[in-house]
Amino acid sequence: MAQFPISSNFEGDFVVQLVAVDDAATMDEVAAACAEHSVNRRVAPRPGKILRVRRHSNGEVFPREMKLKDAGLLPTETVDVIFTDI
Amino acid sequence: MTKLASSDYYDLVRTTNWTPSYVSEDELFPEMMSGARGIPMEKWESFDEPYKVTYNDYVATQREKDAGVYSVRAALERANFVDSADPGWISTLQAHYGALAVAEYGAATAEARMARFSKAPGNRNMATFGMLDETRHGQIQLFFPHEHTKRSRQWDWAYKAMHTNEWAALAARHMFDDMMFTRDAASVAIMLTFAFETGFTNMQFLGLAADAAEAGDHTFSSLISSIQTDESRHAQQGGPVLKILIENGKKAEAQKMIDIIFWRAWKLFSVLTGPILDYYTPLEHRKQSFKEFMQEWIIGQFERQLNDLGLDTPWYWDEFIRSLDETHHGMHMGVWYWRPTVWWNPAAGVSPEEREWLEEKYPGWNKTFGRCWDQITENLRNGREDLTLPQTLPSICNMCNLPLVGTPGDGWNVKDYQLLHEGRLYHFGSEVDRWVFQQDPERYKGHMNFIDRFLSGKVQPADLAGALKYMGLAPGECGVDAHGYAWAGIGASSRAAE
Repeated sequence: MAQFPISSNFEGDFVVQLVAVDDAATMDEVAAACAEHSVNRRVAPRPGKILRVRRHSNGEVFPREMKLKDAGLLPTETVDVIFTDI
Repeated sequence: MTKLASSDYYDLVRTTNWTPSYVSEDELFPEMMSGARGIPMEKWESFDEPYKVTYNDYVATQREKDAGVYSVRAALERANFVDSADPGWISTLQAHYGALAVAEYGAATAEARMARFSKAPGNRNMATFGMLDETRHGQIQLFFPHEHTKRSRQWDWAYKAMHTNEWAALAARHMFDDMMFTRDAASVAIMLTFAFETGFTNMQFLGLAADAAEAGDHTFSSLISSIQTDESRHAQQGGPVLKILIENGKKAEAQKMIDIIFWRAWKLFSVLTGPILDYYTPLEHRKQSFKEFMQEWIIGQFERQLNDLGLDTPWYWDEFIRSLDETHHGMHMGVWYWRPTVWWNPAAGVSPEEREWLEEKYPGWNKTFGRCWDQITENLRNGREDLTLPQTLPSICNMCNLPLVGTPGDGWNVKDYQLLHEGRLYHFGSEVDRWVFQQDPERYKGHMNFIDRFLSGKVQPADLAGALKYMGLAPGECGVDAHGYAWAGIGASSRAAE
């Protein structure tokens, strides 16, 4: 268990932000950690939508249960956090 | 004794490329400092400055300029304009002085490099005056705000900013270091005087002077107009240097220097001048939008100058024009949201009337940037100021040292241009920022932006309080909303009330 820095590019927001997340966190937990810094701050909540995490550089969407440490991300690498229906 | 007209002797007396006998030409003009690029000495002697000034003329003119500016200041001192000015205008002044006063003092060093090491005698002559100009600009822009330090500690940042690790100061220093302090004489002439001063300082000093006059701040208006008269003279050094480089087969090198520093200047002005012109200046005093100023001063005039010299517009011109609708809006929102980390009080500038103006000047603003401001406004109206203040840091570009921003809301397009170089992951706010890095990785790779410093443990404690301490921001200096959220339809303009 260690804090792992990622860069959060949250759908609808204007800026990429530094977010530290436990590397044992699932991608759903990563998305929630990123949402803390965007939703209800500058991005309106979107009830009914699911947040998914994808690798910014190639658009690869990570499985929701995947652990952050298994995603092969580099420290501070940017992920997109997007609203989806599934 | 009859005094000759300066035009009768000027060309003769500035012909000072004497033949050295005690040292070699290379020792007298080391390539690292001169940047002659193998172009022989006699070619540099063709440098023909459009403004020909003798020392006598210079001193007489400068004395008159100073007398004019100081007398305006003296006449208006008792009017205490600053005490009754809109808080947004005060923020404009504080941001301007902190970002530029000491940097201008530093610019004397860049002029001195040309004055000593340029192989062109005319360049050396003009740069000597340029050096004196920049010394004047540093001193006068420190002296004018000094009288206001009794009003708030934020005014002291006119001097303090550039001596701190505050993020905006880091960004400005990185750019100025690249352009002024670490380049040879020929590069300084092109990057500082041609690309930066011809293109951008025109806008900061004339655009802002127009708004200052409208706002009734005649002291500041006369100050920066006076400065600009110096700038427009010594900015003329770049043109003749470019001409020599182009005539001697160095066009590609010259073009690359312009391409690099034009973008870097644009990014810096997007955070400094953009918010001032489109958000801080009271609505009724705005002459033109930031985009309109850019279109007039940069796209109109600078583009023509490039063409006249036989140069091309930078390769990213289309992207530059596109970003006129975007970048500074993002920079402004970032500065406002992270307002405790700046030395001035950002004016949100998004009251219903101001939003109408923004929508008119930037069609689509309400559905993009306006979406974020909708949420911020709602939070303030619901008493949730805490949600309008940061809990983390923005990711920062490893070239411009500014936040990675883009269009939010319905047009969401925020992008991080990443680059893995020698095992280190770099982040860039645009393709052009990344391209600049790739032109000379050895030059840039060692620099640590604010986030790099934060993650390496230089900022302690590793939270917002530690970040403020690292940036040198003490209580009473950290920015707050300039109008006490009055624009959101709540509260009063607390600063004005105070």
